[in-house]
Amino acid sequence: MDCQKLQKKVRSIYGNSIRVTEKDGNIVLSGTLKKWEDIVGACSLCVDKKRRYHVINNLKLENTELPKMKLPHIQDQALEGRKPDVLVIGGGISGASIARELMKWKLDVLLAEKESDVAMHASGRNDGEVHPGIDLGKGTLKQHYVIAGNRMYGKICKELDVPFKRCGQYVGMMHWSELLPAYLYACQRKYMCGVSDTRVISGKTLRKREPHLNPDMKFAIYNSMAGSVCPYGLTIAYAENAVQNGAEVALNTAVLSMDVKDGKIRSVLTNRGRIYPEIVINAAGVFAEDVAEMAGDRFYSIHPRRGTNAILDKKAGKLMGGIASWKTLKKTSGHTKGGGIVHTAHDNLLVGPDAVETYEKENFATQASSIENNFKKQQGTVKELSQRDIITYFTGVRAPTFEEDFVIERGRKTKNLIHCAGIQSPGLTTAPAVAKDVAKMAAKMVSASHPVKKNESYNPYRKGVPRLREMSPEQRNKLIQKRPDYGVMICRCEEISKGEIVDALCSPLPVYTVDGVKKRVRPGMGRCQGGFCMPLVAEIISEVTGQPLEKVKKSGGDSYLLFGKTKAGDGK
Amino acid sequence: MIYDVIVIGGGPAGLAAAIAAKKEGAQVLLIEREGRLGGILKQCIHDGFGLQRFKEKLSGPEYAERFIEEFHSLEIPAKLWTFVTKIRKSDQDFQVWTVSRNGVEMLVSRTLILATGCRERTAKQVSIHGTRPAGVYTAGTAQHFTNLQGVMPARRCVILGSGDIGLIMARRLKLEGADILGVYEVRPEPSGLTRNMIQCLEDFDIPLHLSETVTRIFGDDRLTGVEIAKVDEQMQPVPGTEKRIDCDTLILSVGLIPENEMAESLRVTMDPRTKGPVCDSWAMTDVPGVFSCGNAFHVNDLVDYVSESGELAGTSAARYFRELKGEADRTAENWISVETEGGLAYVVPQKIRKSDLDKKLVFYFRCRRTMGESMLAAISAGKTVFEKKYQAVRPPEMERVVIDLSKADIVGTSLVFQLGEVQA
Repeated sequence: MDCQKLQKKVRSIYGNSIRVTEKDGNIVLSGTLKKWEDIVGACSLCVDKKRRYHVINNLKLENTELPKMKLPHIQDQALEGRKPDVLVIGGGISGASIARELMKWKLDVLLAEKESDVAMHASGRNDGEVHPGIDLGKGTLKQHYVIAGNRMYGKICKELDVPFKRCGQYVGMMHWSELLPAYLYACQRKYMCGVSDTRVISGKTLRKREPHLNPDMKFAIYNSMAGSVCPYGLTIAYAENAVQNGAEVALNTAVLSMDVKDGKIRSVLTNRGRIYPEIVINAAGVFAEDVAEMAGDRFYSIHPRRGTNAILDKKAGKLMGGIASWKTLKKTSGHTKGGGIVHTAHDNLLVGPDAVETYEKENFATQASSIENNFKKQQGTVKELSQRDIITYFTGVRAPTFEEDFVIERGRKTKNLIHCAGIQSPGLTTAPAVAKDVAKMAAKMVSASHPVKKNESYNPYRKGVPRLREMSPEQRNKLIQKRPDYGVMICRCEEISKGEIVDALCSPLPVYTVDGVKKRVRPGMGRCQGGFCMPLVAEIISEVTGQPLEKVKKSGGDSYLLFGKTKAGDGK
Repeated sequence: MIYDVIVIGGGPAGLAAAIAAKKEGAQVLLIEREGRLGGILKQCIHDGFGLQRFKEKLSGPEYAERFIEEFHSLEIPAKLWTFVTKIRKSDQDFQVWTVSRNGVEMLVSRTLILATGCRERTAKQVSIHGTRPAGVYTAGTAQHFTNLQGVMPARRCVILGSGDIGLIMARRLKLEGADILGVYEVRPEPSGLTRNMIQCLEDFDIPLHLSETVTRIFGDDRLTGVEIAKVDEQMQPVPGTEKRIDCDTLILSVGLIPENEMAESLRVTMDPRTKGPVCDSWAMTDVPGVFSCGNAFHVNDLVDYVSESGELAGTSAARYFRELKGEADRTAENWISVETEGGLAYVVPQKIRKSDLDKKLVFYFRCRRTMGESMLAAISAGKTVFEKKYQAVRPPEMERVVIDLSKADIVGTSLVFQLGEVQA
């Protein structure tokens, strides 16, 4: 590759302070720039998708110290001296699914997650779409895994008892002039890329299925295999199943540094002691690059990209049963597909996400402008869409590489390491397929040092907390007769009983926080946003754990709900 | 068994409705989601309840207790800890599906009274952005923590919205030793009752900031601060006026929304102005046999009026079956519609039964904006048939007016209410 040429190109736009060099076959950018967008722009400019090198970003942002990774407050020695076969770093969908797949072998697996729960970053902050893969061209890892992953969803969600619906995806087009190119595009995807469910349907058919879609849509590309799943629900289910099969999930556990010698990670220092793993899997999301650096194996860079979704009331869920967006073939800027509207597995609608480059990996604050933009755009999909139906909104941060593809491979310099990095959309869809491959790779690597046997007692089935509101009156009655707590309603919007909340607190991976319960069984997810049930959920947590009410937290860190007792509550 | 009346909700509206229906001789059952009767009054330990009705200043639980005693003395059955999951309408009656510790049960009634109260608007519904830390509570949630659970939700607190519960909580937390840094109201005038402005803020030196709002929330774990901004006439934040206030709690009192998910499932027509059902002078919705009262019908500021509305619904439901034999008479000819013009936000009921034209009826209204000396007029076929003068009207203060329709010459299909400032 010609660094001189690249450097000239980059300098012509972003100034002469940038240096472009080569390191181990990859491109390294260094220097200082004033704006983060310019850093992203400069690095992106150096990407060559045909030639498979990576772009490493060593550019500095002038006068700005990039925020450091937020660390858990706990400091103890709970994991000191642990010698797992496999240490998985990161409890998102990637880490959790890999941990579960690893349990098919007799392996000692430890998953370290720095947050107070799994699925706290991108896996808990996305729209839950199981993508059909229609938007991906051939030749990328994303494309390689998306079809395989999609096709595994029915089975995996059944095994893990997670609600999943193949509700179909519609990409509506507004101009007849785009029919031929769209048709050719659809054919290419269908016959060349293996997206076998692709069809072009008429506006009439479209409106018969989804009467509220914009009447200006002349036709649409339709994929019946697209679906909706609860992304954190699936991550939790994977993690629980891993735990049931013998894995250890260590929450509030951050990797701080690694001792690497002769191309091998000897030990990993965490806030809970030093760990001596046989091999390490880097599934650290936005921090994958940082973990790679610690392991002496950094050959790619992550540029965080923020996205915000609005969640609409279930009443608005009637507007659409599937997933839809509109598109034009006219060139639009940006990496995003422009978001869409998703009918979630829980029958809400999600509107978004947008895509904004950011250097803040953990800034999940929402902005009013994101919501405005999402609605402006998606009113082209469904005209009746109204901001009045918003019950809440959230922001997530994607973890793409500059090549916008996954990095799934063995360490290049550090040999007992596997990277599962650059996992952004459609990372939820690909997870089941990626996990299988990565686990196989890991088992093989461990077997180099000692024999690895199949786990004969491996149980792929995980039973979730019963969802009483979905049951027939007879089934529901039977369960309540067995356990009257199932008849005590705590969350009125989502119809969640005390029994379900207690079950969540007694699950294989219990998290004793209001948000932990909310993510597992949904009290507080409805239109009152916990106004009525949150104090009651806090009380049940206090009851189950024996900790006083004022020690109950919303989520991690010091997110205490309360400041001690009132004068009367204190008996004063 | 088939009940004549099932009342859903055991707060002040539901209690009054059940008592009234029972006194009319109906077979009544009350269903309450929580373990005790009284609804939100259970946590309203401040005084000022019952001034109109009992000419006494009672606390919320005291006010509720008077109704609960009467309810029990009439031996009305109540199902507590019982949650209605769905309602099915058949030709003759309603099937009410419930869940409780005893299991799933289907109850049948000829009429239904929906006394389901209201819920609070949340931070996201008033478009506050930023992070999602602990320490953002609606006033009612904060009140639940403080008064029912005996725990402190706040230490240094900003209150957004000058709704009554917000004002009450400002004083309550101040008494518990919290710092109340200020109450911020997006509107140019307060949205709570005047008496609460004086008794909760002025008497406790809590500053009120009008035309200012909270625009952002800071903090990862616990709230660390909020951003305040001035707003323009359209109530939009003015760029450049933002300032940060360090605090650990944000309490919201930004409006109440009638809870009508059950009514909607029965396809009751809703009034976008009240966010409650369209009701007639019998408190009946446009689904025959379904009645609505209290804060589910429209948000009240005095519990006395909630009880009154419950009584009307109770009496009507009992009489509806007895007198009209549940006749599903829906022809528009039986009603006169109530319309509003000028400075009125709404008037309820929205329809008058023609058979009530010889009676004294109670109407409630809210004005759109604060006005000085004003005149309420009811106009039928171009003729003013009723007039009443008010010294002043304010949107937060709902007005109650009794009109003797027998003395008003009402013709045609509508009665139009107007409210206008009297020109000096």
